[in-house]
Amino acid sequence: MSTRDRSADPRGCGDDVAAYALGALDPAEAEAFRAHLKTCAACREELAAFKTVVDVLPMGAPQHRAPRRLRRRVMSAVEHDVRERGGQPERRRRPALGRLVSRPVLAVGALVVAAAIAVGVIVIGNSGSSTRVFDAKVIGERGSAKVAVTDGRAQLIVRDFSPPPAGKIYEVWLSRKGQNPTPTGALFSVTSSGDSDVDVGKVHGADAVLVTPEPKGGTSAPTHTPVIDAPLR
Amino acid sequence: MDGSLRAIECDPTTVFRAPKTARQSQTDILTLADEDLMTLVQDGAAHAFEVLFDRHADVAFSLAYRMCGRRSMAEDVVQDAFLSLWRSGASYDRARGSVRSWVLSVVHNRAIDAFRREAVRTSRDVRDEHVAEHVAASEQTETEVERRDEARHVRSALGELPADQRQVIELAFFGGFTHTQIAEMLKLPAGTVKGRMRLGLTKMRGALGGDPARAVL
Repeated sequence: MSTRDRSADPRGCGDDVAAYALGALDPAEAEAFRAHLKTCAACREELAAFKTVVDVLPMGAPQHRAPRRLRRRVMSAVEHDVRERGGQPERRRRPALGRLVSRPVLAVGALVVAAAIAVGVIVIGNSGSSTRVFDAKVIGERGSAKVAVTDGRAQLIVRDFSPPPAGKIYEVWLSRKGQNPTPTGALFSVTSSGDSDVDVGKVHGADAVLVTPEPKGGTSAPTHTPVIDAPLR
Repeated sequence: MDGSLRAIECDPTTVFRAPKTARQSQTDILTLADEDLMTLVQDGAAHAFEVLFDRHADVAFSLAYRMCGRRSMAEDVVQDAFLSLWRSGASYDRARGSVRSWVLSVVHNRAIDAFRREAVRTSRDVRDEHVAEHVAASEQTETEVERRDEARHVRSALGELPADQRQVIELAFFGGFTHTQIAEMLKLPAGTVKGRMRLGLTKMRGALGGDPARAVL
């Protein structure tokens, strides 16, 4: 937050809290504000108050009926998922996954390689379907990431992760031995709390899921070293 | 209407059955709270997901349409968001807020991603509402009426803000712009934009029943 903002506010904290609640801080500012939040109870309290407003802001949009075809498309895809899993109505049991992706304890002082050394693969499942969860290395950024693979389809789950640099977006790649990374078409940013759940798609034959910051719109070949590296082994 | 009860009872294409472990009748399912439905969704219960979709699809679509300004793009965003929720339901943590807030935050995030991917940032004007299906009063259930009232309340709180405060909040939340971009657009100092955001949110907090005195000015 700027000195100017601080001097304009008797609490000395500036006006960043509202912009942060609205997801309108620039990435570097958002990161600085998150650090500030750890030590400022007043801003945490004000952020909680503003979050109650931001949570209902979607209702401020003119309300429309969702098209029927949208419902058909979504439920058709869900039905397809169920059939792919052998028609089992219970796709998988995943309560353990919820615990796996809870907020991590941040490593203090980590500069180059932060967090998450892969410690193994966790298999969750029943009824002939299983979810394999792979820890990811988060490189040069804070936060954590995991990849959950169910029936060959992967979901990248990112928590407390830094937003992409200004003008960039995160792009997801598949890495195969002896080949250049191939784009998955998945681009993402993160919420104000650093979270994102990204549908990576099918990962058959891939050795790893990679994430790089790239220009908005994505690229066909990586221009940056990976900030997330999730080996699928 | 697309109500969940009708959809489950009458749609012959619905092939999902309640998981044996849940042993919930369809009527019971419809009365469950969102958080309880999420527990079933985490167990792979498509019928529970269907109920959640019916409860939140309208507001999700409305948000996406307001943000994208294009019906087809809004549909893609909502579909992408809901399927992400279906496939990663376990990432929902009730300690961090309601299911609806979670759903809408995913939709919001996906819409912003979609802008960045498609660089469609200039034609988002949703005043062409002739292409959209407004929610007709005659089709509303009691729950929908409550939600419509809530929507009216929020729109009223937003509408009562001074125009300069409403403008920066709408550009940030519905437009996905940062305060720096907004400052450039409006030719204002960045601090002024952030100050207006804070004043506006504080007033809305008061108007929506919060305690504005606790949001320090």
